[in-house]
Amino acid sequence: MRRVLAIAGNTFRETIRDRVLAVIVLFALSMIVASLWLASISLGQQGRMMKDFGLVAVSLFGLIVAVFVAASLVHKEVEKRTVFVLFSKPVGRTQFIWGKFLGLAATMLAVMAGMGLFLFVVDWFVAGHPSGWLPVAVGLIYLQLLTIMAVTILFSTVASAILASVLGICVFVAGQLSHNVLSLTGLGHGAVLRGLSWVVFVLVPNLSAVDIKASVVGEGAPDWSQVGLWGGYLAAYIVAVLVLASVIFRRKEF
Amino acid sequence: MRRRASVVLLLLLCAAVIVAFQVTRSAKAGSPARVFVPAPKFFLDLSPSYRTSVADVYWLYAIQYYGQHVRGDQRFDSLPAMLDLITQLSPGFKQAYLFGAFALIDARRPDLSYALLERGFHNNPQDWRFPAYLGFFAYTYARGNHKDLVAAQWYAKAAAVPGRPAYVPRLAATLIAKGGQRAKAMILWAQIYATGDTYSEQKAVSALDQLLPAGKQARMQAVASLQGTMSPAQFNDLIAALFQGYR
Repeated sequence: MRRVLAIAGNTFRETIRDRVLAVIVLFALSMIVASLWLASISLGQQGRMMKDFGLVAVSLFGLIVAVFVAASLVHKEVEKRTVFVLFSKPVGRTQFIWGKFLGLAATMLAVMAGMGLFLFVVDWFVAGHPSGWLPVAVGLIYLQLLTIMAVTILFSTVASAILASVLGICVFVAGQLSHNVLSLTGLGHGAVLRGLSWVVFVLVPNLSAVDIKASVVGEGAPDWSQVGLWGGYLAAYIVAVLVLASVIFRRKEF
Repeated sequence: MRRRASVVLLLLLCAAVIVAFQVTRSAKAGSPARVFVPAPKFFLDLSPSYRTSVADVYWLYAIQYYGQHVRGDQRFDSLPAMLDLITQLSPGFKQAYLFGAFALIDARRPDLSYALLERGFHNNPQDWRFPAYLGFFAYTYARGNHKDLVAAQWYAKAAAVPGRPAYVPRLAATLIAKGGQRAKAMILWAQIYATGDTYSEQKAVSALDQLLPAGKQARMQAVASLQGTMSPAQFNDLIAALFQGYR
């Protein structure tokens, strides 16, 4: 565990200093500020617009950071050959994968907390009262992004960094449409198509199940027991994906 | 030196062309009355997590569309589809129903306006403004001998919603009681003003301005009859709006 934490600490320091990360976060913050302008032309719907567009900005820019940094984490170490120095010490490949994930998770926590706090304050200023659900919504977006990070790290163990990034984004999109795949399982006439739809439904993480953006803008209260259950599902999904990534990485020859 | 000067010159020339093009385009470009609006099902299937965000984008679009055409050709061909999309993607978006109900009157579709408010009440049964608006729309825009009764029934429903203002139950009685149509219309417009919705307030002030007599004394007497239909603060604001330009 100490070794995992050491790798995580190094990964955190390495990624938090990344200039690309700073640029993306700055861009996200400017998008949140731009929502102020959109809110001003919304015929009295400033609070709603601010929350909705702000959460979309946090979600999409968080996705960009999560996917592109996660895809390059393992690759950079292999390409720069620093991984050989690391593995000459008593560090296992599984520990390496988990350390990298936890380090990036800490970076993402800092990024999401920063963006979430900024959105919370700006929304408070615009709406005139604080929204208690905004931090919860940002926290659940963070959980979605952790899932995508784990999946991207898995892809990066078998594919190039660019391909892993593209696949990570594809899984994010597919994760928003999980319920549609479930509908497909009922539509298929053939057993093969139905079976295939079920496989896709089970493999793709159901990200939309923990999305409460609609509730934040006043579309009724979320079912917290369901959100809690699906949160547990995503946590289990992350662990399963990282275990798979570790197994693949252990068999990988450099 | 000469090379740098020619680069700067080229840059300035390109900038001038871009600005000139944009300026002339914005002056000439008209907004078409009929625009493509996707079916709500498309977004409900494709982006369930972002459905309210899509509704917000179309909300901003619908406001721009309405604003451009209300001052221009008065054609709102795509407004019903836009409002349908917004309210289906975001059934709790109350402002969309309330704004849309008036905007559809401008589009000469009171039937759709009424249907939109009915859907709004169905989706937001805890909001007294929907039955109150329905009563108002039934009285103001419907035809037939029973419209007073229908409107009164809607106000009775509004009166049954918890949290409604104290004056709402009186409106049903006002409609059923005998009285001049102008007096009833004024009270109902005052009630629309009292809902607190910005766009509705503007509409109500404009309508009351036309209903009220022009003379200062007569106007003051007529406005005094509205005192019990809203809170004192709202009444003061209404007086300020109706007596603008009067000394």
